[in-house]
Amino acid sequence: MSLSIYGQVLNSRLLIGSALYSSPAVMKQAILASGSQVVTLSLKRQNPLAQSGAKIWRYIQATVKQNQGFLLPNTAGCKNAKEAISLAKMSRELFQTDWIKLEVIGDDYNLQPDPIELLIATEQLLAEGFKVLPYCTDDLVICQRLYELGCQVIMPWASPIGTGKGLMNPYNLASIRQRLPDTTLILDAGIGKPSDACIAMEMGFDGVLLNSAIALADNPPLMAKAFATAISAGESAYIAGTMPERQTAHASTPTLDSPFWHHPEHT
Amino acid sequence: MKIYINGNAFELPNASVPSSIDKVLTKTLSLSQQQQSFALALNGDFVGRADYPITHVSDNDSIDLLFPIVGG
Repeated sequence: MSLSIYGQVLNSRLLIGSALYSSPAVMKQAILASGSQVVTLSLKRQNPLAQSGAKIWRYIQATVKQNQGFLLPNTAGCKNAKEAISLAKMSRELFQTDWIKLEVIGDDYNLQPDPIELLIATEQLLAEGFKVLPYCTDDLVICQRLYELGCQVIMPWASPIGTGKGLMNPYNLASIRQRLPDTTLILDAGIGKPSDACIAMEMGFDGVLLNSAIALADNPPLMAKAFATAISAGESAYIAGTMPERQTAHASTPTLDSPFWHHPEHT
Repeated sequence: MKIYINGNAFELPNASVPSSIDKVLTKTLSLSQQQQSFALALNGDFVGRADYPITHVSDNDSIDLLFPIVGG
């Protein structure tokens, strides 16, 4: 019942973002309620006079520590491999971690990852000792290429970031799971409801990364708990083994020795 | 020498003398700002803190200081 990220064993299969909360206090409550041990954060150009970055970072650090967790910096906003590589190196120095959620955005409208730049950045960062968690589309071939480069964790999207549309292409995601059985697969982005997370876990995904669905809920801490419960339920269902889907009805009540009024001669 | 820090232009004296990144930061940021947690890129390329004294800045170079923020 544990998740492994490049050999680091975690008790929770939920990875959570730190953005979009109504206040730092609500963010903290939601993270703690989720039980997540991996919290994402980022780097941005700011006016040094503002000095707000250090405060929120310390706050996130303290919260993560309470769950005995880890920071997962991302490369949000990068549009090519060069930018992403540079930002990853900056994150490694500042956050003192070689984990990187690698995002290279190829389209501004739906924030779709650029698969070509993603592969270029992944190859170089792996060579430089990073533990890359690439955010990609639900394209089997891209996931296979990332695996071949050496990624131990791959994070296909459910749907575009922040849409809450859930799993757009369950067939694609199931295929990725089936074809890459030894890779840690984390569903990332587009998740709207706990049932979406549950479906991913029922498919055999290893974890779920989300932000908006919790942060934008009316009650983020309660929604965080709901997601944790749904992920646990989905994981148990996968382990238990779901029944095969059938095209025709099958009576669940035994028909042998049915009462007389079901016999044709009495109808 | 003109350099840009996070898009803001700074005019520095002694244009003929090469300036290292740590000297530029000393000239343009207050002590408390220098002590903040940030990572730096020179013209888009990461420069580690250990390399600030040995990395030189030229006229019209661009320094980006990046700070931690929330993220998804």
